[in-house]
Amino acid sequence: MRIVVAYKWASNPQEAVVGVDGSVDWSRARPGISEYDLVAVELARQLAEATGGELIGLTAGAKGVGAPIACKAALSRGLDRAVIVEDDSLEGAGTTELAAVLAGAVRHIGDVDLVVTGDSSVDVGAKMVPTVLAGQLGWAAVAEVTAVSGQPGTLRVERTVPGGVQILEISGPAVLAASVDAAEARLPGMRDVLAAGKKPVEHLEIAALDVPARGAVVTVKGASRPDLKARKAQIFDATDPAAAATELVTALRGSGAL
Amino acid sequence: MDFDLTDEQELIRGMVREFAAAEVAPIAAEIDREHRFPEELLPKMAALNLLGIPYPEKLGGAGADYVSYVIAVEELARVCATTSLIVSVHTSLGTWPIFEFGTQAQKDKYLHDLVTGRRLAAFALTEPGAGTDVAAGKATALLSGDEYILNGSKVFITNGGFADVFVVMAKTDPTKGARGISAFIVERDTPGFTIGEGERKMGIRASSTPPLFFADCRVPKDALLGGEGNGFKVAMQTLGGGRIGIGAQALGIAQGALDASIAYAKERFQFGQPIASFEAIQWMIADMATEIDAARLLVYRAASSKDKGHSSATEGAMAKLFASETATRVAGRAIQIHGGSGYTESYPVERAYRDAKITEIYEGTSEVQRMVISTGYLR
Repeated sequence: MRIVVAYKWASNPQEAVVGVDGSVDWSRARPGISEYDLVAVELARQLAEATGGELIGLTAGAKGVGAPIACKAALSRGLDRAVIVEDDSLEGAGTTELAAVLAGAVRHIGDVDLVVTGDSSVDVGAKMVPTVLAGQLGWAAVAEVTAVSGQPGTLRVERTVPGGVQILEISGPAVLAASVDAAEARLPGMRDVLAAGKKPVEHLEIAALDVPARGAVVTVKGASRPDLKARKAQIFDATDPAAAATELVTALRGSGAL
Repeated sequence: MDFDLTDEQELIRGMVREFAAAEVAPIAAEIDREHRFPEELLPKMAALNLLGIPYPEKLGGAGADYVSYVIAVEELARVCATTSLIVSVHTSLGTWPIFEFGTQAQKDKYLHDLVTGRRLAAFALTEPGAGTDVAAGKATALLSGDEYILNGSKVFITNGGFADVFVVMAKTDPTKGARGISAFIVERDTPGFTIGEGERKMGIRASSTPPLFFADCRVPKDALLGGEGNGFKVAMQTLGGGRIGIGAQALGIAQGALDASIAYAKERFQFGQPIASFEAIQWMIADMATEIDAARLLVYRAASSKDKGHSSATEGAMAKLFASETATRVAGRAIQIHGGSGYTESYPVERAYRDAKITEIYEGTSEVQRMVISTGYLR
């Protein structure tokens, strides 16, 4: 079984510093594998271990995503090899463009049975790349995946739905977006880190991937914080607890909180 | 001269930091308060190959370099001095003498279990009347037929309450002073060998530090490590390597105290502003950061020299001396920055202050390190 896990190499917004004026300083944010993609790596790794399958890491982005440390960070997580598309034209690439590049790379890898991705990236959080990627490939797409097992052609997938769990069987290749809590990402051991540098890395040229020309460009023109509503403070006389409870419930209903 | 870490060293730092944050930090204060050895961390550390870091992969170790080893110890010490000490003593004091001086049979018997973390090691040198003055030790190991019979006691034996394998120094010839000392591998549960109650200490409280008692404890001749009369050499070379690990521990303690101080200084408001805006605090932070960086360079240099095969006693001694005294100074300033709150158990800096002091004492006191350094310069 050939499994591709698509991950993003991105700066962690928790390490960015937000100024009093709302400006964001990313200079101290160290890049790493996006947090939710590590869940996807673990989910895919468990399937690869259970089936004896091949696990291939795939990422695309601007300069830096293919740096040796980035490749080693990914490979130390149990990947057999990595495929990288590193091109400055991908700086700020939108969902559609990124998905197109990833689809091109998946076609280049060939004979892929499954692509697993994180729920969303830690820096953008759009939650759209997995679905658009599936569309680009013409494959089934499933989100909120909590478990996957089986073999190509009879893949069994569990996903979270409101109120419960849905069980699916997929008869062909698919793109699965792992739920954020689908698995606990394993830390690589010292040996895993040291072995990572010896695993194969293939760098693909974007020109060789048959990626359609960029269509509409989406530009962020600004961002602002939501208006802060004035806090309500209401004190209830609890001399009569039962009456106070009724008053509280009425007030909460009236404000729309209940 | 390249001061940058390799990719692997950076990734190892990140991995150990993440492990320390997730598994060690949440229990660090509790195990300190309860004087409780964190047994539950041993299999977790073993799974990440943290109990055999510098040992070859073919033996079951991680096959990492010494710089990676000190980085790992430093990152553990940032959140818990005890946990870093467990790793350092097991690796450098308990396992190393067997790796370096053991016969093939001894290596085959013990090393795989030790470097994979299946068994824990300890090093038993110190006695009630023999600390720095190793030659004054009274424990004996007298040959009787095919066995050595050990008698005597040891104190302050780190990991002692939980170790399975002990490297023990005892005199095979009490008339010869230091040259009469020999090293032995003694396993837990050997008849005649008992382990006392752990000491209750000022700091590194969760570290197991019991006395050991030998009463006609019989070990086979093949338990002798490194040849009869070579125990002093075994001990001194072992401690020479171990002091780099303690330097790394001290470095981590200091860094943790600095990190806490920076966070506190930014959040604590007095006179309408964060105390981080006051020059007095800024200069303290500057001094702490500079001293820690200097300590880091000394510790990493000593480790790098060891990796390159030209390890020097002077470099190791400088690293341990400076890093340990820096840790005590930095931890004291950290409490000063925290003010009254720093004196309470609610903040980690009081634990750093208590933990730091021992790094100036064990595995060769600061006075011994000064002797080593001055000998290196004045010969």
